[in-house]
Amino acid sequence: MGEALPSVVPSGGSAGTVRETIGVPGETGPHPQEQARWVFDVSRIRPLIDSITRADANAHWVDAVLAGTLAAEVAQNFADLIQGATVPEQLLRQPLSAFWPVGSRDVLAELIVAVASDTASSNTRVRRVAPEGRLQDPVLTIWRSLEPSRRDLVLLTVTDAPKDERPTWYPRASETRYLNLIHHAQTAMLQVDASCMSKIYDRLRSEGIGELGLNQYLNEHPELVDLADGEVRIVEANLSAATLLGCATPAEVIGPVAFMFTVSPDTQQRIIIARFGGKRHYSEVVKLVTFDGRVRDVRLSITFPAPREDVDVHLATLEDVTDRLRTEAQLRQLQTDITHAARISTLGELATSIAHEVNQPLSAIVTNAETSLRWLSRDDPNLAKVGQLTTRIAQSARHASDIVRRVRAMTTRHAPERVPLDLNEIVDEALLFLSYEIEAKSIDLSIRHARVIPSVLGDRVQLQQVIVNLVLNAVQALKLGGSREPRIDLHTGLDADGRVLFSVRDNGPGIPSENLDLIFDSFFTTKDDGMGIGLAICQSIIAAHGGTITVSNDAESGGAVFQFSIPAIA
Amino acid sequence: LSNPPVIAIVDDDEAVREALCDLLLVENLSCRGFASAGAFLREYAPDRFNCLVTDIRMPGVDGFELQQQVRALGSTLPVIVITSATDEGTRARALKGGAIACLTKPVADEVFLGRIYQALGKDFAPGSEPPRS
Repeated sequence: MGEALPSVVPSGGSAGTVRETIGVPGETGPHPQEQARWVFDVSRIRPLIDSITRADANAHWVDAVLAGTLAAEVAQNFADLIQGATVPEQLLRQPLSAFWPVGSRDVLAELIVAVASDTASSNTRVRRVAPEGRLQDPVLTIWRSLEPSRRDLVLLTVTDAPKDERPTWYPRASETRYLNLIHHAQTAMLQVDASCMSKIYDRLRSEGIGELGLNQYLNEHPELVDLADGEVRIVEANLSAATLLGCATPAEVIGPVAFMFTVSPDTQQRIIIARFGGKRHYSEVVKLVTFDGRVRDVRLSITFPAPREDVDVHLATLEDVTDRLRTEAQLRQLQTDITHAARISTLGELATSIAHEVNQPLSAIVTNAETSLRWLSRDDPNLAKVGQLTTRIAQSARHASDIVRRVRAMTTRHAPERVPLDLNEIVDEALLFLSYEIEAKSIDLSIRHARVIPSVLGDRVQLQQVIVNLVLNAVQALKLGGSREPRIDLHTGLDADGRVLFSVRDNGPGIPSENLDLIFDSFFTTKDDGMGIGLAICQSIIAAHGGTITVSNDAESGGAVFQFSIPAIA
Repeated sequence: LSNPPVIAIVDDDEAVREALCDLLLVENLSCRGFASAGAFLREYAPDRFNCLVTDIRMPGVDGFELQQQVRALGSTLPVIVITSATDEGTRARALKGGAIACLTKPVADEVFLGRIYQALGKDFAPGSEPPRS
């Protein structure tokens, strides 16, 4: 029944124990430690082994051997060697290429070929390999079944050479510390076993699906994403993760990952693509429903194992950002509200200007209509003239309606948008609100537009608001200063960094130097009736556009120069 | 005056300027439009115009200054002010400067033509001059 014991017995134990194990009777190996014994099925690589022994196999035979050799029986001490696997069933019937540690692959492949092709009655080989897993000084003992019906089964034990106690307890203590650390960490952490996916990735690669094509492939095969939802499992969780996910204990979290993606089904697809593409990290904010039914915004960050670590255990951290996102949204809303309120307030100051702007075309319409009636009431109605006047009436009416539309845009409360804009156009539109104001105060206005100006990404109304505010400030400064020949120069162009700039320069009294640093602060004002939010809002609008706003006094005239720059669209 | 009367209209808004000119045309009155006070002053000559219609708020020289400058040239040209401003100050200042009327935009055709004929005097009462084209 038993085979002869080999001369080398690397580890102590009850040598010679007769065993009957899973369908491999009489395979009592040279190593009696049952818990350390693996059984490999090499039936699929018989032709390969023959070609290797004839020395006509290609250079990649190591990978091919491991890919074709299946685990028929998993040693009970597998966890000492294989990182990440939690139950032996995960490894059963898997090719060795899917899980065997990289450090001993070459040796193992060589040994498998040697014993599989060896027909001698005692074919046992023993090799020491580099430290691996928890094993400080691992020894591989390998032999082939000599029973004719089992000739394709190779048996292996992996044991640590017993030198001293340390190699055993030291890594264990280290791992205990690691587990303690994770379990008590404030950060919510999960360990996710995605090893089921490696077969799928292999298949996709063999079908020629690349990283770029995977998204479309998954769109066409949603069942693969569903499969990942069901098969990829959370195998460890810490207390923080349990709390975040609405569970009393970490054990309740263990199971398929599907629950994390019920509200954000596309996230799983993006994770698969990142993993398939060899990324080391992936992170996004997902909306997830916790086990106790709450919907939370969670930043999910996943660290994938290094490319050659075929055992696919991911470490995921979760951060509940619901409250932060809500606060940010409230802050954005508040900013929108204040910006809007400031705009309404500015429009109030410009009500006379706006009324004048609308009154001009209305005035032309009234006169043209009355003139038309006069032509029509004559004995020989001049229809050609009436036609011409009617055309002008339509033009003026359109002009009036255009003004109303722009005013309405300024009064509407809207979430800021980002669209490509021509700053020259924005300046011209802003002047619509200001030209009467400027004329009424007999201010000499010059506008120097850059002939060609790159577009900027921004919110049309908000940028108009900034320009209206800056120019109106200049108008008011000139009025206060009582300048004899009041001037305002507007200029658009590019600054030294290639950003698009707008500047407004007046020849008023300028800004007292002690105020230059305070002028953009909220509630800073030198006006009796001012709230001091106009410039603060200008600054926040420009900052939100990724730009800067500055103030200085003109060296020559002593008047104020306000300038903002925002990035051009690349 | 043997020539047909010519009315000068100074307004920086083209639509308003053209509308007023067209209204005068129905009445067979000749009209010259100017986009600014400066443009008018460059063409000004005694007896060239029979009436000046001007806006108040304009870039550069405004309507008040124009009125002053015309008077400074020794002209008695009748001036009619048309403005969007509705305040009493503007009106008082225009009339004090010698304007025969200060009308608020939009102006009614009858009111406007009434003031024009008042400015032109009885020699140019409606229908007294045959149309010339």
